[in-house]
Amino acid sequence: MKRIIVEYEKCDGCKNCSAACMQAHRKTAGTIYDLDLTDPENESRNVILKDAKGQYKPLFCRHCDEPECVKSCMSGALYKDPESGHVFYDETRCGSCFMCVMNCPFGVLKPDTVTKTKVIKCDFCVNAGGEPSCVASCPKKAIHVEEVQA
Amino acid sequence: MKYVIIGAGVAGIEAAKTIRQQDASGDIVMISQDTFVHSRCMLHKYISGERDEKGLDFTERDFFDKYRVHWKKGVRVTNVFPDKKEILLDNGQTIAYDKLLLAGGADSFIPPVGQLRQASNVYGLRNLPDAQAIVKEAQWAENVLVIGSGLVGLDAAYGLLERGKKLTVVEMADRILPMQLDARAAMAYQERFEKAGARFVLQRKASQAVCQPDGRIHQVILDDGEAIPCDLIIVAAGVRSSLACLEGSGIACERGVTVDASLKTSAADVYAAGDITALSGIWPNAADQGRIAGKNMCGIAAAYTDTYAMKNTINFFGLVTLCVGRVKEEEGDLVCIREDQNQYKKILLKDGRVEGILFQGNIANAGIWQYLIKNKIDVRGIKKDVFDINYGDFYHVGDRGKYEWVIESL
Repeated sequence: MKRIIVEYEKCDGCKNCSAACMQAHRKTAGTIYDLDLTDPENESRNVILKDAKGQYKPLFCRHCDEPECVKSCMSGALYKDPESGHVFYDETRCGSCFMCVMNCPFGVLKPDTVTKTKVIKCDFCVNAGGEPSCVASCPKKAIHVEEVQA
Repeated sequence: MKYVIIGAGVAGIEAAKTIRQQDASGDIVMISQDTFVHSRCMLHKYISGERDEKGLDFTERDFFDKYRVHWKKGVRVTNVFPDKKEILLDNGQTIAYDKLLLAGGADSFIPPVGQLRQASNVYGLRNLPDAQAIVKEAQWAENVLVIGSGLVGLDAAYGLLERGKKLTVVEMADRILPMQLDARAAMAYQERFEKAGARFVLQRKASQAVCQPDGRIHQVILDDGEAIPCDLIIVAAGVRSSLACLEGSGIACERGVTVDASLKTSAADVYAAGDITALSGIWPNAADQGRIAGKNMCGIAAAYTDTYAMKNTINFFGLVTLCVGRVKEEEGDLVCIREDQNQYKKILLKDGRVEGILFQGNIANAGIWQYLIKNKIDVRGIKKDVFDINYGDFYHVGDRGKYEWVIESL
């Protein structure tokens, strides 16, 4: 399966990945230049964390081998796609219980800010050909896609 | 090899899936009273009318065909005979097994108050038929009484409020959701429920409930003498493991079926998973137990080790809450609070370890707290505000790009 590999030492915290993610998942048409960064509906699936020493630690969904989010999903909305190995989310089935948020051991997931009915979850930009926008936008090459053994 | 699974809840379903992944040729038979596979966590959405029966199904499409599970639905197991390796159904049929999984869940507990147990208009909320009956009664019921304001009681209340019903909720404690929330977080929900039409009567319990000649209870009298008129009563006073079919089987039970770490019962080739074990009442743990029992039934050793169950998420009227660990403050706690107009967060620290969190309004990226609490991680060495602790403080990219937790000796 394909996984986004993170080399945090290279990250300078620019948040291009987050802006690219917001752009990739916006509801309206447009370019990054007219993306409303203050609209709470535009949310990034990734986040750059900072540790106590000030080092940037990029947080990206791992599409885990044994995903705790899928294991805790009570509606069937979250599932691991046997072909790609990615963990996908079917918004129409989601029961908005957020046990997935509770159980992700790395704290990747969150409810959507505006309606609290959906989970904000990386989809590997599957609708854009499966080439993650975050990776394409990283100027430091701190993230790249690698084929890892499933 | 013939595997028989009693119960079509998440423990049974996950066990069936696991068994099929391990054993391509064995026979898998699932037996349930349920005629629809349904997520019990979504019954409130059925009552409210947001979903129909099929919308409660949590399994993947064509589950029974795909995993070749023979599902006998709408039947009840009346007896288990471990010596003969057989079970008996209420239709008189006998089914033999090589490996048996008890995953029949639990039943609503109706306390022996007055004639609550005898009346025909008193329901628990545990299974789809409960929800169906509640919806049917609600068509004409004008006064609804909900006894108990835990998650199940509020699920029932939410669903009926969405249908425009007026209702009264009686709770023994001094706040709603007393097991999960503190007074302040509980009040935030109480206000939302009240705005939707609920009335709460706290620190009171039902003391008298008499059936009228029509077999129904038309009023419940509380311990302070207040009489509450009711056409429909929902009792949310907890559940008890469904052990009826095990009577006389010799299978050891206490509160639930007794199991070891591999989820094996006292009888040879009989396993148990989910609420029937009374190990935990929450979905992720029942699912885990199903998978672990399934593996052991196929001869693959696996142990139920991630037993932590003091965790809940709550989401009513767009207000989300996550609570993990201890809620009640104790002597010696360092109580940390962060709040603004969108959130109320509380962390209980003791001797440098997080023992409980309560996050309301904003639970973004909060998955790490369960990990910190259940592994009793000392956070004193992390020089930042406790609320700003994140996975970055334990970050490690391991083999194949997987994240791992690294706890530096702090």
